[in-house]
Amino acid sequence: MIKTGNHSFKNFLLKLAACFALLFILDIGIGKLLKNFYFRQQSGYDFLTTYSIEKTKADILIFGSSRAVNIFNTIIFSERTGLSCFNAGRYGEPIFYHYAVLKAVVKRYTPKIILLSFDAGNFSNNTDAYDRITVLLPYYKNHPEIHSVVTLKGPYEKLKLLSNIYPYNSLLLPIISGNSNYSKKKYITDNGFIPIEKTFEGPLQTFDYSKEKDLDSIKINVYKSFIEECIRQHIQLYIVCPPYMINPIGTDHSIAEAKEIAQQYNIKFLDYSRDTFFTSKPQLFADFRHLNVNGVELFSNSVIKKLESLR
Amino acid sequence: MIFNSFHFLFFFIIVTTLYFILPHKKRWLLLLLSSCYFYMAFVPIYILILGFTIVVDYFAAIFIENSAGKQRRLFLVGSLIANIGILCFFKYYNFINTNFSFLLHGFGLSNPIPYLSILLPIGLSFHTFQAMSYTIEVYRGKQKTERHFGIYALYVMFYPQLVAGPIERPQNLLHQFREKHTFDSDRVFEGLKIIIWGLFKKLVIADRLGIYVNGAYNNVAQQNGMTLLLATLFFSFQVYCDFSGYSDIAIGTARVMGFNLMTNFRRPVFAKTTGEFWKRWHISLSTWFKDYLYFPIGGSKVSVPRWYFNLMVVFLISGLWHGANWTYIIWGGINGFYLVFAIITKKYSDKFNSVTGINKLPRLYLFFQISITFLLISFSRIFFRARTVKDAVTIIKKILTFKGSVFNDGSAIIIYCFVAIFFLLTVELKKEFYKGSFTLSHHQNFWVRNSYYSFLIILIILLGVFDGGQFIYFQF
Repeated sequence: MIKTGNHSFKNFLLKLAACFALLFILDIGIGKLLKNFYFRQQSGYDFLTTYSIEKTKADILIFGSSRAVNIFNTIIFSERTGLSCFNAGRYGEPIFYHYAVLKAVVKRYTPKIILLSFDAGNFSNNTDAYDRITVLLPYYKNHPEIHSVVTLKGPYEKLKLLSNIYPYNSLLLPIISGNSNYSKKKYITDNGFIPIEKTFEGPLQTFDYSKEKDLDSIKINVYKSFIEECIRQHIQLYIVCPPYMINPIGTDHSIAEAKEIAQQYNIKFLDYSRDTFFTSKPQLFADFRHLNVNGVELFSNSVIKKLESLR
Repeated sequence: MIFNSFHFLFFFIIVTTLYFILPHKKRWLLLLLSSCYFYMAFVPIYILILGFTIVVDYFAAIFIENSAGKQRRLFLVGSLIANIGILCFFKYYNFINTNFSFLLHGFGLSNPIPYLSILLPIGLSFHTFQAMSYTIEVYRGKQKTERHFGIYALYVMFYPQLVAGPIERPQNLLHQFREKHTFDSDRVFEGLKIIIWGLFKKLVIADRLGIYVNGAYNNVAQQNGMTLLLATLFFSFQVYCDFSGYSDIAIGTARVMGFNLMTNFRRPVFAKTTGEFWKRWHISLSTWFKDYLYFPIGGSKVSVPRWYFNLMVVFLISGLWHGANWTYIIWGGINGFYLVFAIITKKYSDKFNSVTGINKLPRLYLFFQISITFLLISFSRIFFRARTVKDAVTIIKKILTFKGSVFNDGSAIIIYCFVAIFFLLTVELKKEFYKGSFTLSHHQNFWVRNSYYSFLIILIILLGVFDGGQFIYFQF
């Protein structure tokens, strides 16, 4: 039994219970309010994620980071293939996000074709990729299929998600923005595709790929799971690495590993990362990672042509 | 184990509960074992270093007390050499070796001394200084030796302040381990409130600002002057909230169990001069240097040039204490220079004030003083935060161009940062200038107080950065 001084332990427990009761009520009330406004957004990145997870029924789905969002032109893909196309990529997101969205999508319907945009260094060891799982937290409660991905964020994630507010951590301003006209004007996309107008001004940077030798086995396993899920659902999967406007040294270990795995599963890996047609033309790039509108047109047509020859 | 983790939350609940369940005589053992566990959660093997200094200082203090004259002094020197030796080996070996290599290279020679692949034991500078204060105080006759080895070990290892202070003095802390602390509901709530405010400062303010600051300072070449200027100002608030947040959690954690740790920060943002700043910032370290270095070398009771020299020495060593890098030494040097410069120019600044009449407008004058002090301290922190001296110089050059637009990645980070700073300043302004006025945090009504702290917790959950990681001062 805890020895007490002037104030009884019982008094302490009563006060503590009162504090928790107030917190509990506030958590439920504010959490519900945030949830309501989060899913009412009509524009912005979170809206596009919600659309990808809960609404899209496009025949062709494109997954990847900003290099998917800015480079795969959905209009060209739709016009050339006669199939509907949606770009489900999201800026800065690694394989964890794409796998979670895929799991949620295949629970509703089966797309015909999936293009996964792969980047150099995608398998490298960094904690940043795990932090980025945060964007999936609002979907945790209603989408049990993504639980395995969300819990990769940390050992206490399930505990944190007992709170109704925590899934919307740091989302207050994006939610306000996503429910406003300002956001509708700012985030205009063509089925998830966001073109970049500017032209690369240099200077050409040198990248030494040989330094990043340590690969993250969890990321590799999730990449494999992505491929296996597509095979299980009989979806035609193509993995594409768009071009870079850089001066590379050595081999990128992530690309090499991803290619080898794709080969094991008999999946086509289209590697444009050092395609001289693009890398010799800086005017096709917006920056060293992203093609601009001119580059996108050539690139999207080139990918479609290759896909047609492979089918 | 860091304070802003679930690991620590569970640890804290278990240790505190057991502390009040156990009889008073066995509590020291619980605290000692839990402190060992806390420290070993970082790098287990380094507990041996801590153990070594504890054994050395424990016996050194007994020998000091039992001896007289030169022998007494010899034991103190031996203890100091052991402590400083360990600090130098783990913290400064490679730094000294690098500079030695550079020197030899100048003469066309190569350095035969090998570099060591050693990881700095966490909080080494903090617990070494705390241990040193014990033997010095025993030598000075101001502290009786602690004959109970376990309690002495606990004095060095007490987990709330083990890795980042406050750097306690034996007169304040040692006797508290022998006092019987009964469970006091009000005191526990008081401690919890301090912890919540500390967590708020760390998670909502410091780690949020850290996102912007790291983005700018880790890519200096790609940033423009305005972005670096904003990042520099943000860093001033970041480092304050990070470190004072840690101190608050340490003080609150100890308070829950009945221990009173010393105040480490007294709203340094409102310092009117750089001299006053050091009376408000990291007080436990400032007073340590004052008592054990500045006064022993003569302080201000010497010739004027020697006084300036003493100030510079203290600040240069303070810089070196923070880290084995020239950036920290320069940072210390700049702050020492500020003090010396202020003393030299005092009569001119007084004259300027009376000529311009600015001191006749007290509020404007106060704002002017606080702003200048904040800018001077922020400027010196460019060296504190920059990875290299070259980076720091580049940052200063770029800032002085005042060119470019502030970087904003569209994630509303800047808005969050400004709101966080505004909230901090509002709370601190109230504490600094309107002490007796209406208060929410200490309101008489339980529900008003409860609502305020619930609001802070909600803000932590809603706006806190949970992937921010370690406290900045852990590296020292």
